[in-house]
Amino acid sequence: MAIPLLICDDSAMSRKMVKRSLPPEWDVEVTMAGNGIEGLEAIRSGKGEVVFLDLTMPELDGYGVLESIKTESLKCLVIVISADIQPEAQERVLGLGALAFIKKPINSDKLKTTLKEYGLLD
Amino acid sequence: MTELAQLSEDQRDCLQELVNVAMGQAGDSLARFLEVFVHLSVPRIKLVASDEVLPEMIQLIGNIDVSAVRQGFYSTSQQVRGEAIVVFSKTSFDELAEIMAYEPDEVNEQSEQELLLDITNILNGACLSGLAEQLGYELNYSPPSLIGTELNVGRLFDKEQLSWSQALLIEINYRLDNESFKCNLLMLMPGESIEVIKQSVDEFLEDL
Repeated sequence: MAIPLLICDDSAMSRKMVKRSLPPEWDVEVTMAGNGIEGLEAIRSGKGEVVFLDLTMPELDGYGVLESIKTESLKCLVIVISADIQPEAQERVLGLGALAFIKKPINSDKLKTTLKEYGLLD
Repeated sequence: MTELAQLSEDQRDCLQELVNVAMGQAGDSLARFLEVFVHLSVPRIKLVASDEVLPEMIQLIGNIDVSAVRQGFYSTSQQVRGEAIVVFSKTSFDELAEIMAYEPDEVNEQSEQELLLDITNILNGACLSGLAEQLGYELNYSPPSLIGTELNVGRLFDKEQLSWSQALLIEINYRLDNESFKCNLLMLMPGESIEVIKQSVDEFLEDL
C-alpha cells in the first residue's frame, strides 16, 4: 500500500526538487500543498501520513502547522525540510514533535538515510 | 523609454527559493553572532521602476526613521552589479547593545556605527555569497558605508541620482523573538543585471 506523502512548501520549485529527491523504490502517493493551511487540510483528510514540511511559508508557517498537528492530535510523521539552519530552529521543531530535520537545498542521499533511520524505508 | 522587464512566475518562484536558502545561511550567521534565535520570513522579489523604489521601501519597512548601511557588489565573471542596503529600525541599537552586553560607557555613536557595519558585513557576506554561489557567480564587494542614522526611509535615496530605470528588488527581514530588534536587507540589482539573473535562473530551472 502506498504511503500518503504530503509535500508542504510555498515554492513550486522546492516542491519539485523534493519530489525528485524521493527514493524511486519508496511507494508513496504524493500530495502537494503551497502553504500551512492547505497542508493542514491535506493532513486532516488523510493525505499526509508522512509530511515533508517547510518552515518559512505565508498564511501559516511550519511552526504553526506543527502546533496544530499537536493540538488536534493529528496522526502523521513530520520531517522538516528548511533553509533555516539555526540549531535552535532544529531544536524548536523537534520540540514541537517533528521527527527529523533536513536542511535545504535537499540532498537525495541525506533524505534516503533519514527515511531509513526512522523505518520509513527498508 | 525602453520596455520594462518582467519576471515569469517560475523565475520569481525559483529566485525566491534561492534567496530563501541564502537567507537561512545569513540568519544562522546572525544568530551565532548575537547568540539569539532569529525569525525568518518569506523573501520578497519584485521588479521596480526607479520612481517606485522609495514608495516600495516605505511599504516594506514603514514610514519611520532608520539607520542604514549600503554595500556595493559586482561580479567580474557575469555582468551583474548591485547594492545591498541593510536598514535598522531606529530603536534597534539600544536593544542590540543590550544583547551584546555593552557597558553603558561603551554605548556611543562610534560603537553604534561599528556594530551596524559588523552586522551588515555578516548578513551581506552570508546572504550575497549564498545567492551568488547557487547561481555560479563570483562576487566582489565594496566596503560597507553608513548612509545615515535617524534618517526617514523616504530619504534613503535621492531619486534624482538613481542611474537606472528599473531594478530587481529582493527584500528579506530578520527579527528577534520579542521584536526588540528588526532589520531589513534590501538588494537592488539594476538594468542589465536583471537579464543576466533571469538567464541564470532559467539555466538553473533547466538543470532541475
